[in-house]
Amino acid sequence: MSDISLKLNVAEASVLRDLVEQMRALYRESDATDPVRKRLFPDAYKEEKDAAAFREMTGGDLSAAKLEALDRVSESLGQKGSAKIKLGDEDAEAWIRALTDMRLAIGTRLEVTETMMDFEPDQSDPRFAALQTLHWLGWLQERILEQMVP
Amino acid sequence: MKQPTVAPDVERDSELDEVTEADRPWLVIVWNDPINLMTYVTYVFQKLFGYSFEKAHKLMLDVHYKGRAVVSSGPREKAEMDCFRLHGYGLWATLSKSE
Repeated sequence: MSDISLKLNVAEASVLRDLVEQMRALYRESDATDPVRKRLFPDAYKEEKDAAAFREMTGGDLSAAKLEALDRVSESLGQKGSAKIKLGDEDAEAWIRALTDMRLAIGTRLEVTETMMDFEPDQSDPRFAALQTLHWLGWLQERILEQMVP
Repeated sequence: MKQPTVAPDVERDSELDEVTEADRPWLVIVWNDPINLMTYVTYVFQKLFGYSFEKAHKLMLDVHYKGRAVVSSGPREKAEMDCFRLHGYGLWATLSKSE
């Protein structure tokens, strides 16, 4: 697969840099009751005993993988300004995973529903800005995905 | 599914029961969520399990319209690994023993 190209303007790149930092903080947070935390690190089993054992076994690796994906995104974004990005296979994989977690975090925080996601957000909605970001991240993810081969 | 080889009214010995219990595969279930994109979920099934686009797309539609789908199954260790990999891609996956 040839490299995937992405062009982000200053505003877009800066939104992503902020989100990278917010996600880093989220991954380090250990509040097990936070719905976002629960969505990013879901229980594998219904029974708490089994779920806890699974967390014990895989939780560290899962955090590490998520942080590594963020590092790759952060590296391709650079420190400041706009970003002209070329993504190889592994970078692209890291990007779509990181974008997914950003979307899950925002969407879970906003308690979005399927119906909500089907419509353009209304400007009078106090969640307007966050919903716009959520949709934009999805758009960006699909631009990358359509250039990827599973 | 395996069929019992003994008549139901014959008492089976406990060893046979244990073998049957251990043979029942673990199921990896993916649940619907309102956030992940359909194109992304299809991609993940292809990428992680090597499924064709058609199979991955059908599973994604099952997740979307039926609320959940069994996406893989096998011995517990393999099922747990699959579940872990799905969590790595942000899919809401759980494990349960097949009935």
